[in-house]
Amino acid sequence: MIDKFLYLIVEGMKNIWRHKITSFTAVFSLFLTLVFIGLLATAGNNTHKILQYLRAKYKIEVFFRTDFANEEAIGVIHKIKRIPGVRTATLIEKEDAIRIFKDQFGEDIITLLGYNPLPVSAVINLVRSSEDPIKAGPIVKKINGMNGVEEVKYQGNLIKKIERTYYRILDKLPYLAGIIIFVTVLIIYNTIKLSVYSRKDLIKSLELIGASNLFIKMPFLFEGIIIGLISSILSIPGMLSCIGLINYILSNFTNWGIRISVDPAIWIWLIMLSVFITLFSSYRATSSILK
Amino acid sequence: MMIEFQNVSYSHNNDSGVKNLSFQIDDGEFAFLIGPTGSGKTTLMRLIYFDLIPDSGIVNTGKFSSNKMTKKKKPKARLDIGMVFQDYKLLTDRNLFENLALPLHVQGLPSREIADRIDEALELVGLTNKKFHLPSQMSGGEQQRSCLARAIVKEPNILLADEPTGNLDPVASFELVRLLETINEMGTTILMASHNYNLIKGRGRRILELKDGILRAA
Repeated sequence: MIDKFLYLIVEGMKNIWRHKITSFTAVFSLFLTLVFIGLLATAGNNTHKILQYLRAKYKIEVFFRTDFANEEAIGVIHKIKRIPGVRTATLIEKEDAIRIFKDQFGEDIITLLGYNPLPVSAVINLVRSSEDPIKAGPIVKKINGMNGVEEVKYQGNLIKKIERTYYRILDKLPYLAGIIIFVTVLIIYNTIKLSVYSRKDLIKSLELIGASNLFIKMPFLFEGIIIGLISSILSIPGMLSCIGLINYILSNFTNWGIRISVDPAIWIWLIMLSVFITLFSSYRATSSILK
Repeated sequence: MMIEFQNVSYSHNNDSGVKNLSFQIDDGEFAFLIGPTGSGKTTLMRLIYFDLIPDSGIVNTGKFSSNKMTKKKKPKARLDIGMVFQDYKLLTDRNLFENLALPLHVQGLPSREIADRIDEALELVGLTNKKFHLPSQMSGGEQQRSCLARAIVKEPNILLADEPTGNLDPVASFELVRLLETINEMGTTILMASHNYNLIKGRGRRILELKDGILRAA
């Protein structure tokens, strides 16, 4: 019995070597599919970083009346800081405004006009939560009602659009993942099926010499498990290389400050998914021939 | 008796097949099945090893009967039947030793016994020196003898040879029939299908003649 079992395991391994090209094709297509799934899962895990980056760009600009003094504005800034959802509030004094104007337009406004018409202002950054959408509307309303505030500017529509798109994608992600996994299963199933069908003669011969269905299926199942394991193990460095390349591009060619990280749990899922699908495919393919 | 057909009919989709066949082949007998191409010889063989189940009538092969045949019983029934085919059906990706070992692994024999049995079978068919050759490295006659060795290595009670000389030259064909006679002398019941009457005549064996699926002489 042990001899028979060992023989079937060894047969499964030998079959991979005997059918090198078929096995290589199966491993390669599985490898590509798994790298693709792994990258998608990693992208899904990292979408919040893109949102964080975009949210870091959200700011509310508050302009005070021109007659409002720096000291008065400081008091208002303290009040703004206490509003829930406000992360930072930075005061831009009249003198700072002159410098900023000079930096941006290259002209000294005092020389031009003889006085400083620029008001005290403040830049407000909001709390960045990856779970909840930013609600800037109520904050703006509160600031508008404060003493000395003349104008509040913020990219309301842009923020709303980004937030809406993000949550729309987030809502549809499970469906998208479902479709991708379904297509993946089909690709892997067909690859394994073709590999099994290419050995139809072997299955028929085994049937004729009195092999039981289990005896015929076992080497194919072991072969499927080995192909699944090889492909998924190879897909890990494949995935890491792709992510390394993406990170290189992000850090060298953008100033987004985003770095993609990989959750090791994805690898365990990939190995399990791969072995399960190859096992299932081998079983189904051999069963369909043995009918 | 080893093989028994009781009013057996089987029809393929194209209407060919066998019609109302009744005959017996006794334990240890060597019988020939003759008939032109398309007369139903292969259908009859397939009915014996339960690859086909008759539309009507009963086929008894050894302890197994077609009317009680189930999917699970088929492998067991075939363990006692050795088969030789015109196209050899050797596994081209394995050497001769591995081809012969396959039916023995199916039986669950230990490795030592497998090696001994293969040596015996190869000696009988005269292919000891080709033990580790691939089928593609052997001639047609050698491949057919390999196929015969694979059939006898499991020591079956029944040996079915479906047109085993179809692809062989006259000398190789004659040698193969001699080999089958030797195996029969050891007690194996043999049914050999052929359309070459010259090869089988004058051997003192019973000849079953099939024409258009009907048994003409037995």
